[in-house]
Amino acid sequence: MPSEISSQSSTPEARFSQFKLVLLGESAVGKSSIVHRFVKDSFTDLRESTIGAAFLTQTIQLDPNTTVKFEIWDTAGQERYRSLASMYYRNAQAALVVFDITQESSLEKAKYWVKELQKQANSNIVITLVGNKLDLSEERKISEDEALAYANELNIMYCEVSAKSGQNIKDCFRDVALKLPLDNKSNSQNQRRNKTVDLSKRPNTNEQQCAC
Amino acid sequence: MADRRPSMAERRPSMQNSRRPSVIPHLAGIEKPVLPTTPDECDVLICGTGLVESVLAAALAWQGSNVLHVDSNPYYGDTCSTLTIEQIKAWCHHVNSNSPGFHGFTKALLYIPRPNKLNSKDYSIDLTPRILFAKSDLLSLLIKSRVFRYLEFQSISNFHTFENDSFGKMSSSKEEIFTDQSLSLSSKRSLMKLMKFVFEYDNEENAALLAQHKTTPFVKFVEEKYRLLPGQINELCYTLGLSSTPDIQTPQAMSRIRRYLISFNVYGNFPALYSKFGGPGEISQGFCRSAAVAGATYKLDTTLQSFDSETKLATFKDGTKVKVSEKVVCSPSQAPTGSQYTPERKYEVTRLVTIVEKSCKEWFSDGDSAAVVVFPPNSLPSLNKFPVQVMIMGPGSGCCPNGQCIWYLSTIEKGEKARLDVESGLKKLEESILRESEDSGFDVALNDEDIVVRPDGTASVINSVKLGKSYKEFVPKEKLTFLFKLMFTQFTSVEPFGVASESVYRRASKEEVSSLAASGAPDKGIVYSNMPSAEISYDGIVTEAKLLYTSIVGSDDDFFDVDFEDEDETDQISNQNNNDSAIVDEDDEEFKDEMDFEL
Repeated sequence: MPSEISSQSSTPEARFSQFKLVLLGESAVGKSSIVHRFVKDSFTDLRESTIGAAFLTQTIQLDPNTTVKFEIWDTAGQERYRSLASMYYRNAQAALVVFDITQESSLEKAKYWVKELQKQANSNIVITLVGNKLDLSEERKISEDEALAYANELNIMYCEVSAKSGQNIKDCFRDVALKLPLDNKSNSQNQRRNKTVDLSKRPNTNEQQCAC
Repeated sequence: MADRRPSMAERRPSMQNSRRPSVIPHLAGIEKPVLPTTPDECDVLICGTGLVESVLAAALAWQGSNVLHVDSNPYYGDTCSTLTIEQIKAWCHHVNSNSPGFHGFTKALLYIPRPNKLNSKDYSIDLTPRILFAKSDLLSLLIKSRVFRYLEFQSISNFHTFENDSFGKMSSSKEEIFTDQSLSLSSKRSLMKLMKFVFEYDNEENAALLAQHKTTPFVKFVEEKYRLLPGQINELCYTLGLSSTPDIQTPQAMSRIRRYLISFNVYGNFPALYSKFGGPGEISQGFCRSAAVAGATYKLDTTLQSFDSETKLATFKDGTKVKVSEKVVCSPSQAPTGSQYTPERKYEVTRLVTIVEKSCKEWFSDGDSAAVVVFPPNSLPSLNKFPVQVMIMGPGSGCCPNGQCIWYLSTIEKGEKARLDVESGLKKLEESILRESEDSGFDVALNDEDIVVRPDGTASVINSVKLGKSYKEFVPKEKLTFLFKLMFTQFTSVEPFGVASESVYRRASKEEVSSLAASGAPDKGIVYSNMPSAEISYDGIVTEAKLLYTSIVGSDDDFFDVDFEDEDETDQISNQNNNDSAIVDEDDEEFKDEMDFEL
């Protein structure tokens, strides 16, 4: 993106943007594994830690001055009976719709989630169709051409990854980040944040009050 | 990593082997294969995703119970949903045709002028809007459970009282009392004295005095003891205390006023917050998500048809069945058709919701997007016996587009009179906003007297009481455009502004026993939650969820007793926990010192 290169040389101050990214797709296509590979660079079934928030964050450096932080929301199983809350879609700026390239019906199901996103999410959300399990490419049932044709038809991005091997995961998130509005002024999320009260941070207002 | 203490259920001998391990898997349950129908079995089935049920679901799921949580609607929130315009339309239709899943509401009237200019999805309309006091049990639970991380909160500073045809903002901090030029010196003294009493109401002397006046109406008590003026009493009782009835007793009113005062300056110079994009409906979704993370199963659009207390089989409308090993909890609104055990709902709340074409920023404090307005008893032309409470949600709250505002009016008056009262309140709100937002605005009739310089000499504020009065003779040039108007009545078994009482659940279980002989009821053995109370704060929600939790688990010892280990926030949270318990005392100390100095 030319605008970033120019800003890199003219403005030395660092740019930081934060985005909400949601994952969608059927159960067992590897949504959580993709997140894990991206955030912890591991592929493990031993998910031992007790995590309350169920969204993970990961930061990527696009260039020396530009940092993008993803707040990644997983479905927490609520997609199983199509019972995702409207909160899930709210203000999501990016979505990965995941399918399994080794499962015939998988792409069809992904199409449902793309439709759902178009219904529920912001109209300017950046959607990426993600074919997972590239490590099992000899068992592939859905060709790259087929998926790509569908993605092009809807004008959404497409990438193929393997959460197991890690292949293409970072590039995929990087591509998403490059598509997002990085200019702080147009980043509505950052503006929104300023006005809200962070419940986890109680200022020491008692002293201020005493001053009178 | 420290092991989680075994949950109550795990410690039960019969459950030794069937429970999940003590470490809850991260993002549990996500990768299980698609199930064609509902699960075959669960420990607890919860019907209705209202706020109480959602808090309960999350508490049970983190405790280790296998929870199946369903709702007959295709959306979350049940009786306290946050809805779009289209959803409201459907909701009204269901209420008026008395559909299953909508019990407890009646006479929904909806008016949307043509041409309909509203883009349905731009609106988040609460069926039961609420505000969150900065020092309250739900707020602590939001932090402890991490559910606050799914939500956004904004401040609400202005609590207006309607008096003599204008809005006054209560002088509620000591700073404001000192600087309020409308108060005489003796008034200031009495007010400060009363506030001191409110803060120290549990010290020996005050507690004894309060015990003497256990049944004295608050209004009488402060009139006699503190010689407060009627206007001041109204503000204290109905605006700060958000009391529901003119005959509220002294201790109750005191604790409600105290709630307001101790919430001040916890996060800043305001007593309360609200969640953006919708209130209880939004927070419900947060707790449901938390429950899902802990392994609860969610299925919307699923209606309970019956529960057989002998076979422990619950049957849904679609014919699927689930075996419930422990309990079925059901919101009364979603009780099975033909139910015989729903709790009696003898209290009413009448609500009027309007969307107006005005931002109403005149009513908001700087940086806020919401305000509370209270019409005390007898302040309206309809001669309202009970206060009419109003929540004003501006465009910054994420609930409506720019240039618009949502007004929520409610009263505990009954029947047609209730509707007259809220309509009367609406009329007054309309007059006021036209008056205050007229173009000439602040240029009119302002003199030095109306500017209050704060003690530190920097900030100056406009005295809103006087400002309102100066417009008394105002005749509006324009009309206010109403884009949407919804009126309905809701029934509840929770006493107005009270808290769900344990007796409700005792009654349920007693009936369970006594009715074993009588058969045929599709809801025998079901534990019912309550319809939302008239309270416009979140107080009472956690209490009710805990009561239900206790009725299932046996005690609330391990209610949300989970040590989360989210790595990137560990430090923050450990500080937080310390603050949580200490903060009450700190505040009180600070206030007392100040008072001693002044009086």
